[in-house]
Amino acid sequence: MKCLKAKKAIPLLAGGDLSPRKERNVRAHLGICPSCRKELEEYRSALGRAKASAREEKPGDWSEPEWKSLMARITAEKGRKRTAVLGLRPRWVLASGLAAVIILAVTALFVKDTAFGPQVTSPVPGPDVVSVKMVSQETGLQVVWFFNKNFDWKGDKK
Amino acid sequence: MVLSGRTEAFEPLVTPYRQALLALAYGLTRDREDAKEIAQEAFLRAFKYLGRYDTSRSFRNWLFKIAANAARDRARTKGREAAALAQAGRESPRSPDPESGRRAGEFRSDLDRCLSVLGPREREVFILRDIEELDIKETARALACSSISVRVNLSSARRKIRDAIRDKYPHLEEGQ
Repeated sequence: MKCLKAKKAIPLLAGGDLSPRKERNVRAHLGICPSCRKELEEYRSALGRAKASAREEKPGDWSEPEWKSLMARITAEKGRKRTAVLGLRPRWVLASGLAAVIILAVTALFVKDTAFGPQVTSPVPGPDVVSVKMVSQETGLQVVWFFNKNFDWKGDKK
Repeated sequence: MVLSGRTEAFEPLVTPYRQALLALAYGLTRDREDAKEIAQEAFLRAFKYLGRYDTSRSFRNWLFKIAANAARDRARTKGREAAALAQAGRESPRSPDPESGRRAGEFRSDLDRCLSVLGPREREVFILRDIEELDIKETARALACSSISVRVNLSSARRKIRDAIRDKYPHLEEGQ
């Protein structure tokens, strides 16, 4: 292995992330190359310093009220989730109710006009025949004249 | 127990990881407020998607994966906000406050300075593998990428960190 190839592998070797076969090859090269050995040491030192700095840092922790409040929020989410599962979110309830009322109203109107209730029919069929009835006051004689509905009263029709 | 509806069982389940998750979020963002927001989001998502957790795998790593996703989402949102602000700033330019910049520089930790040379993916990989000590496969799983991608980014991140310590912050190399 040459230095160029070894130098590419050294960053991973420094953190123990090379495959065993590759590691053997790089280590064989390190045995004969002081420059690459020095580079490996630099990487290890840099990694060590970065890890030490991370450990020294104190990103802090949750205060108890913060933590409790977060857990309470999560529980509240669960409540909302359950409601959602049942399909009872307030907005949906309102929309569904409104839709149901509209459908019922339209159906009621339609049904009233067509299917049920008393059939509206003409109370008296249109007269085909007109009759005139004359009754004598003295004798009680009745004379009934029947006229066709097309009878020409004024004599206009020929 | 949590899955069966006992919400109170969630708290003891996640309490052992509350600080670790916050530390990871801080490592990824380098901002305490952002870290808390991300950790909160991660716990909320963990609760919501607990049914998808594969019990044969580490719960801690599963939480880390969620936190890494939450951090990425937040970075994306902040990027969009920053772009919008930059756009607004172009319309009404304001000179930066040199004093506040100097103060911010003074208070940056050593690790902050080292991490500032890394790209977003390199940082994620470096934090998960070298600081949180997940192995390559776990890191790949947490970041939803291949092991090869993790190795490439890790190698690049370590090289940049080494160069930064050697060239810009030699006092760190000496351990002072």
